[in-house]
Amino acid sequence: MLINEEMKMAEVIHLNHHLLHVINRFGIQLGYGEKTVKQLCAEHELPLPFFLEIVNTFHDPSYFPVDAMLRFDAALLIRYLQQTHAYYLEFRIPEIEQYITRLTTDESWDEAVKRLIRDFFHQYVFELTQHIKREEDRVYPYVLALAHYLETGQGEKELVESLMHYSIQEYENEHDDVESKLFDLKNIIIKYIPRPKDSRILNLILHELFELEDDLHNHSHIENMILVPIVERMEKEFFALTRNGRHD
Amino acid sequence: MIEAVKILLIEPSYIIKEGLRSALGRLNLSFRIDEVDEVKENLVLTLEKFTPRIVFANHRALETKWAGNRSAAVFDEVLLVGMYNEKVTLFEMARYDEVLCIEENKQQIISSLQNILKKAGLLSNESETENLSEREREVLRFVALGLTNNEIAERLFISTFTVMTHRKNITRKLGIKTVSGLTVYAILNKIIESGEVNVF
Ligand SMILES: [Fe+2]
Ligand SMILES: [Fe+2]
Repeated sequence: MLINEEMKMAEVIHLNHHLLHVINRFGIQLGYGEKTVKQLCAEHELPLPFFLEIVNTFHDPSYFPVDAMLRFDAALLIRYLQQTHAYYLEFRIPEIEQYITRLTTDESWDEAVKRLIRDFFHQYVFELTQHIKREEDRVYPYVLALAHYLETGQGEKELVESLMHYSIQEYENEHDDVESKLFDLKNIIIKYIPRPKDSRILNLILHELFELEDDLHNHSHIENMILVPIVERMEKEFFALTRNGRHD
Repeated sequence: MIEAVKILLIEPSYIIKEGLRSALGRLNLSFRIDEVDEVKENLVLTLEKFTPRIVFANHRALETKWAGNRSAAVFDEVLLVGMYNEKVTLFEMARYDEVLCIEENKQQIISSLQNILKKAGLLSNESETENLSEREREVLRFVALGLTNNEIAERLFISTFTVMTHRKNITRKLGIKTVSGLTVYAILNKIIESGEVNVF
């Protein structure tokens, strides 16, 4: 069953507590009382469809209604994507890091194995951080400037300037995949680690990796399938407007 | 291996979308569905955008946008399943790889889906425990040491294409896709020594 606007937020969590992190990203924190999804969205000035579609794509991983999501507001979407980045870098990764540290200080583990897992993970974190930094430094500001122009008519000169070097097409081409390494790390731990005396700490790490991978998958999918087409549409609008402006 | 199959569903009807999702959920298949109500520009562009492995398309939603031409390269990679709910001529449905009649009952739909997916090699009945062959271990060793496909081909006196086939099989058997992941596997299994390679 998909989440709908009439449900109480408390019921939503009872139905699927994995959604807590996602709901937090919209600025909605615990202490819901008897409030419904609709009421809480209104309180936080969030468009209902935006909240519902995103939460539902997490709730049911096979659900991804592209047509409905293409109607999202660009600035709102960027804010959500940034919150998601912050969640990875400030919360999820440090948490995994702690488990990895616990693993590496555990004497019962083979030194070489511990080092392999730790180095592999650190390399991954480095790549993920760079990926996110590129998006936040380059892509997102560009999208926001475009949205700002279409709304207010301001900033045309800067946009024309930056469009000489950059368009969303480039992002689409170079946007690389940040999940493959996680997928590998999971399989290495599940299948190929020499059998430990006690695997509880690895269970915790695995659990985290599964959650992170699913989350990243959803995030990249939104970037590729929703953000890119929305920006392509905005670029078209921008070109149409500036072209007319010049001739008039 | 446990990687989700990418499915694109082209269908305006909410009930049919949900129905197909639920039927697929009853199979031993991990999948992700992108859904669109219709194809807006043309089918080739849509396929290139979503890169699905399987497409389930409402025949009526597709027919005005696609006359059945399959010459574009993107068609090689996808299984096109046409869904119909009325008597259509065989001629009309011939453009699809498979067809699914949505008026069938639960058992029929599920078994049709099973047949379609089995033929495409996406549903396997037995989970084969597969070990790497001698040759695959050799290829893996070179990959882990950082050689390119061309270099490996030269060393082993085989074509680059064969190297790529071996790599695909290695990835499928182990469930490891990246070079650094394969390197870790190779070290853990003593295919190479950690001293032999600067891992990361
Ligand atoms: Fe991102
Ligand atoms: Fe990204």
